[in-house]
Amino acid sequence: MLARLRRTLARRGAAWVKRRQGVDRLPAVVHARRLYILPSRSGAGFAALLLFMLLAGLNYANSLALFLTFLLAGVAIVSMHLAHRNLLGLRITMAQTVNGFAAQTGRIVIAFANDADVTRFALRVSVDLDATRLVSQALELPGRTQRRQDLELPLARRGRVTIERIRISTHYPFGLFEAWTWLHLPLSVLAYPAARGGRSPPAAAHGGTEQLAVHRPGDDEWSHLRAFRDGDSPRQIAWAAYARTGQLLSKEYVAPRGAYRIFDIGELRGLALEQQLEQLSAWVVGAHERGERYGLQLTDTFVEPGAGLPHRDRCLAALAVVGLSMRPTQ
Amino acid sequence: MTPVVRDQRQRFPRLDAEQTAATAAIVVLTMGVLLHASTLPIWTLVAVLGCSLWRFIAALNIVPLPGTRLAIRAAFIFATALALLAVLASFRTLNGLAAGTALLSMMGALKLLETRTPRDERVVIGVGLFLLLAACLANQTLTRVPLYLLYAWVCCAAFALIAQRSDSMTPRTAMRLAGRALLAASPLAIVFFLFFPRVAGQFWALPTGGAASTGLSDEMSPGSIGKLIEFYEPAFRVRFESAAPPPPQRYWRGPVLTHFDGFTWRRAPYSQYREPLVEGIGAAVRQRITLEPHNRRWWFALDTVSKSPRSDVFLTADHQLVSLQPVDEVVSYEVESHTRTRSTTALSSVAERMLTALPGSRNPRSRRFARELRDRTPDTRAFIGQVLEYFRTQGFRYSLEPPRSSLDSVDDFLFDSRLGFCGHYASAFATIMRAGGVPARVVTGYLGGEWNPIGGYLIVRQSDAHAWTEVWLDGAGWMRVDPTGVVEPERLTRGVIDLLPNALSAPTRFMHHSPWLTRALMVWDGANHWWRENVVEFDFRQQLALLNNLGLGDTGWRGLGMLLAAGFIGWLVWIAYSLRHLMIRAQPDRVARAWQRFCTTAAGFVTPRASDETALAFVSRIATARPELGSAARDIADRYNALRYGRGMAAARRRQLNVLEHAIDTFARQSRERT
Repeated sequence: MLARLRRTLARRGAAWVKRRQGVDRLPAVVHARRLYILPSRSGAGFAALLLFMLLAGLNYANSLALFLTFLLAGVAIVSMHLAHRNLLGLRITMAQTVNGFAAQTGRIVIAFANDADVTRFALRVSVDLDATRLVSQALELPGRTQRRQDLELPLARRGRVTIERIRISTHYPFGLFEAWTWLHLPLSVLAYPAARGGRSPPAAAHGGTEQLAVHRPGDDEWSHLRAFRDGDSPRQIAWAAYARTGQLLSKEYVAPRGAYRIFDIGELRGLALEQQLEQLSAWVVGAHERGERYGLQLTDTFVEPGAGLPHRDRCLAALAVVGLSMRPTQ
Repeated sequence: MTPVVRDQRQRFPRLDAEQTAATAAIVVLTMGVLLHASTLPIWTLVAVLGCSLWRFIAALNIVPLPGTRLAIRAAFIFATALALLAVLASFRTLNGLAAGTALLSMMGALKLLETRTPRDERVVIGVGLFLLLAACLANQTLTRVPLYLLYAWVCCAAFALIAQRSDSMTPRTAMRLAGRALLAASPLAIVFFLFFPRVAGQFWALPTGGAASTGLSDEMSPGSIGKLIEFYEPAFRVRFESAAPPPPQRYWRGPVLTHFDGFTWRRAPYSQYREPLVEGIGAAVRQRITLEPHNRRWWFALDTVSKSPRSDVFLTADHQLVSLQPVDEVVSYEVESHTRTRSTTALSSVAERMLTALPGSRNPRSRRFARELRDRTPDTRAFIGQVLEYFRTQGFRYSLEPPRSSLDSVDDFLFDSRLGFCGHYASAFATIMRAGGVPARVVTGYLGGEWNPIGGYLIVRQSDAHAWTEVWLDGAGWMRVDPTGVVEPERLTRGVIDLLPNALSAPTRFMHHSPWLTRALMVWDGANHWWRENVVEFDFRQQLALLNNLGLGDTGWRGLGMLLAAGFIGWLVWIAYSLRHLMIRAQPDRVARAWQRFCTTAAGFVTPRASDETALAFVSRIATARPELGSAARDIADRYNALRYGRGMAAARRRQLNVLEHAIDTFARQSRERT
């Protein structure tokens, strides 16, 4: 009963905050209007202690106890200002999510910029997922620097995890107050189906040529080396050349154009949907690691053949949302 | 569990953030207990230090902390009960400041052994703050203030270390942060200290109970004291509102002794007769007296006091101030006295009988001597004069080391030893008076005092303790007669320590007779007394006086409230403006400082570097503007880039940094030469 009331209140509160702040666009600066601050639990304890000291000091007309009480109360107020200032003017330059496999973790990456001269201490990123709050490590941001902070998100099930809002908070300096701000960004994390399943991938290659033109790892049939590009598979890297020259180079294969496989969900009849998706995911991952070209045929989706990391992610993303209502993410 | 990281630069293993936080809690508790080191029983100190040491070694991962198994939890409960019993055994009570402090220390030490979470550590800091409060309640002297402030500082730093738990929050940074916060808070503390209304009266009382130091007793047996104990400690301090009375009038009245059994003078526990009324003559002397605790119920004031300063202190008919409670802490009060008085009513016959009573069997020689003298001189004043003359002419001497006497102490003194101090003379004189039919009593108290010229007040020491007599003269009332003054007239103007230098212990004597040291002591005493009068005893009355001095007149609570609010708002505004200075600024490293210097130099002849301009772009602009400096500037930019973004061994980097700084120096010189 009480828990339900609390949940309702929290939901109302979150809705109110979102209404008054609106959806954010990056880069976002933490203005005073969107900065919230309250005593933390230890701050409440400290206040109780100060009240006791005040009463004792008044009761015994003890000047030193009263002075120290007032001094510590002043420190608490100063610490409230410091906590506020620690967040005020903080710039959030980038917020991205990194998808992950179910039963593993995804990630939120937030980049901060500190435009002030002073150091901002102990910034934490947190996200509420399924009634638990995930909190990142503390980040320190020296004056005039930019840094990023990662927050690992455990992904329980396949599907889309919508990040309603991100909380950026600080306990600096004495842990007596917590200042925080909410960030509403259209972010979501996809949990890909776990790459599991023992079936071997379809052997047949589709495409314009008759022969199987898939390059297996260990093949030396590459034509030339080119500079490493993001998304290249580790197997593509010419490690021998790296050892010689210290430069990261990738092998460019002479894959005949159009040689590819299609992973078809129709070939996995007899398995439950989740197992089908996990098997497809395993195939996609394997094919990507081998540097192959592949496509994906799902019941109502077709991903055209391709290769590389973006392609892999496109395929896995398609697998992640199969059968789920495509709610618009905000 | 993280292993201890050994830093190459430091001999001691460097603690990681978790270990630092745990150590902060340990340090806070240990320091808090050490604040009470002088009053806590030894076993408490040993137990607390043992627990602290254990926790510290556990923080270094050398030994484990006690676990959370059921048996260990039971052991904790057992240890708690044991600590409770031990405190009970040591203090015979749990109620009271000293016992409470011991209990709190033990609980804190046991809590230290189960600190696992930041919350536990914060609880320990809370215990530390309670210990600080207890220390304030126990001792508010000036010397303790730096200790308390340091302790509050350490507590705040510990809060920072426990809350942050990061490698960048080193103990040094935490102390810096806490120090700045304390400095910023101090104006608020001062404003609140001055203007927060001090509500009078106690809501609840905790027996303070503590060290016994003794003052005047309610009985006096001059014959039994072989040697008067030397007391250099102050009994009380007196500040006069107007001019101080001359030294011979500085009699500080204490217990009045009326019952004599031939050996011991005792105070009557209650009055058995109606005392004559007394009125003061001349102007009253107003004094503010700060009385040191002496665990007796006497309050002292200049003879003769006319009104009780407080409702829980009674002015008895024979003009003693007697409080309901023993004086176990410093009290301060204002009284009015008249150095000359006159009785307006006569002594009742009951009183006359009681005040001339002597035990029938004791001191027969003295009584015979008194009766014979009285028969020859019927006039009372002449009789007194004769007795004093006897003291003056018959070889009586003043000594703090008289021989012990038999039960007929007055006989022994008057006719055999003729050696004694004030008690002997007062006792003998009162005995003779009573034997001669003159009502007489012994008054104990203090005589004289040492003037502190720096503070402008009088210090009355235990060594100024004195006894004198009062005799009843029909028509005139009670008259003070001090027979000691006849034998040793100097005693009226100087202290015992000046008369009998050997009465002091060697170090005290040295202190007392070195003018420089005496002056230093007076300054120190003056500072302490100022502290006590103006800070420790700052109360509602002084707040009202302060309002008056500030020109707010008689506004009372409203005035205090207004000043409080104004001070608070002013402080908030000040904090908002000066917050920038409170925040910790990361020091730019040497590379950044060198590059900044280069940019500033170059900005003398090119447009300053934009924040998004790369080093190479900037130096190419320099090369365009001043071609002769181009190569030097490009060299500097290359070196800067290499140091900033490149890798390298620490030693090599340091060498390169020296080269960069040298290059920048040369560049600066060259740029000046050509212009």
